[in-house]
Amino acid sequence: MSSRVPVVILASVALLMAALLVGVPLEGARGDFILWELRVPRVIVGALVGGTLALVGACFQTLFQNPLATESTVGTTAGSTLGALAALAIDVPAFGSFPALFAASFAGALLASLVVFLVAASGRARIGDVLLAGIAVSVATGALSMGLQYIADSRALVAAARWSLGQLPQVGYTGVAVLLPILLPVWVGLLLLTRALQTFSFGDELAHARGVNVMRLRVLVLGLGSLAVAGTVAWCGPIAFVGLLVPHLVRLAAGPQLGRLLPLSLIGGAGFLVACDAVARSLVPGRELPVGVVTATLGAPGLILLLVRSGKNRGG
Amino acid sequence: MNALVLSELTVRAGTRLLLDRVTLSLEPGEILALVGPNGAGKTTLLRAALGLVRITSGDVRLQGKSLTELTPRERARELGWLPQEPLRAEPVPALEAVTAARYRFTETAANARKAALGCLERVGMADRADQPLAELSGGERQRVAMAALLAQEARVLLLDEPANHLDPALQAETYALLGALLDAGTSVLCVTHDVNLLAHVRAVPRIAGLKAGVLVATTRYDAADLPATLEMLFGVPMQALEARGRRLIAPLPGALGQGEK
Repeated sequence: MSSRVPVVILASVALLMAALLVGVPLEGARGDFILWELRVPRVIVGALVGGTLALVGACFQTLFQNPLATESTVGTTAGSTLGALAALAIDVPAFGSFPALFAASFAGALLASLVVFLVAASGRARIGDVLLAGIAVSVATGALSMGLQYIADSRALVAAARWSLGQLPQVGYTGVAVLLPILLPVWVGLLLLTRALQTFSFGDELAHARGVNVMRLRVLVLGLGSLAVAGTVAWCGPIAFVGLLVPHLVRLAAGPQLGRLLPLSLIGGAGFLVACDAVARSLVPGRELPVGVVTATLGAPGLILLLVRSGKNRGG
Repeated sequence: MNALVLSELTVRAGTRLLLDRVTLSLEPGEILALVGPNGAGKTTLLRAALGLVRITSGDVRLQGKSLTELTPRERARELGWLPQEPLRAEPVPALEAVTAARYRFTETAANARKAALGCLERVGMADRADQPLAELSGGERQRVAMAALLAQEARVLLLDEPANHLDPALQAETYALLGALLDAGTSVLCVTHDVNLLAHVRAVPRIAGLKAGVLVATTRYDAADLPATLEMLFGVPMQALEARGRRLIAPLPGALGQGEK
């Protein structure tokens, strides 16, 4: 099993490198510009976002003790999206400034996480209830988002519609500069919680008996997760399925121990999203698809395939 | 100093009284067996001692300190718990499940793993360390859970039917292991339905009878009134038998509900 760890890392690095070569050939000064000013920063942002989404997904799966509980299924992404859309709709200049967008996004994410947290903390709520609450939050925020888009003026509407498909922005290193200070502390924070999460994975009451501060762990993971999701949503829009699919792939390749799963999700998520973005850039000649379209189109059938296969293995 | 003291412990759930002013204490190296019918509040008592259920009134003290004064890690140094439900059949290796119980220690991963492996060895499961829990039998998972409890190295062990899922030989081994822990100064509070297993520990166990949340009887394993106490608790005729120089207490088959109430 452990021999597969380098495979995940190498595959991810190969995808990151290959993505730099996808597109028009790199020749001369124009090639340099395309490589260093367009592709490299885009790959870095993609790696930051993809890694973050997968890491948060793996942490949420552990926290909610359910393989389907990720930032997009417990409502964090939806809340975050609603917050950002509200900022976009209110702010008339098409794209709200990032700090405002991020603040609104974070507020939305926290609100959604809080609702789900309260359900989870209300005594003997079952994990199914938590997922249902997440779905309820997603549906409600989805409806509110549509309402916002309905009343927004047409310029804001176009911006919001494009943004809500999820895409990696175009030029320069601003994205790196903006996202790194938000995401890096979240990575460190979540990875430092590996041991607590691993102990938690055998049940919250057993974890309590073994000395884990369960309440603090829940608050920290949900808070850090919300922060990270808000950062990525504010910069790229909601990108689905990375948090759900990548941890499952990593688990299949390297086993379920969190000591491996969390760092490998971070690495694998980076490779996965960047590869999806390369596909998005090259699928339709001369046009770019939003990466969110690709992750969802690849991710959904991929996940179904995984479920069917692992179901077969379990059933014998 | 007492390792564990419960004083006037009362737990209510809504209008139901689960525990009614239960007082008991445990010294280092001492074993107290908690017996009583289903629903008497035995599991609730263990959970209350751990801080897993809200205590309506009364007090839990560990080494003289109130439960609420301790940090989670300090509490884990005092109290270990073997719950009634077995470990889930997860894809995680047995060794990882035992290592997780070392959370309260500040140590390297390699050290934690080494200690965990030692504990698996004590329960005879060292050769299954890399096996996923999902591939182990119920009895094997119970032994892994026991190894995890050992790995926590707590001063007081709260055990909820530790012989669950085990065959007679392993039941005896489990209690012999408890005996060794008692000899080393660990205290044990053990919920059990089979008092005969207590023969495997050297120290003479105290026995506390719980019925409908009330501590109705305290006796000792070697006391002559033990069968009568059990009869009163369960409402089933109990008989003490001698066989090969040993005592066996068993309910009389086919005599349901004829015990003195």
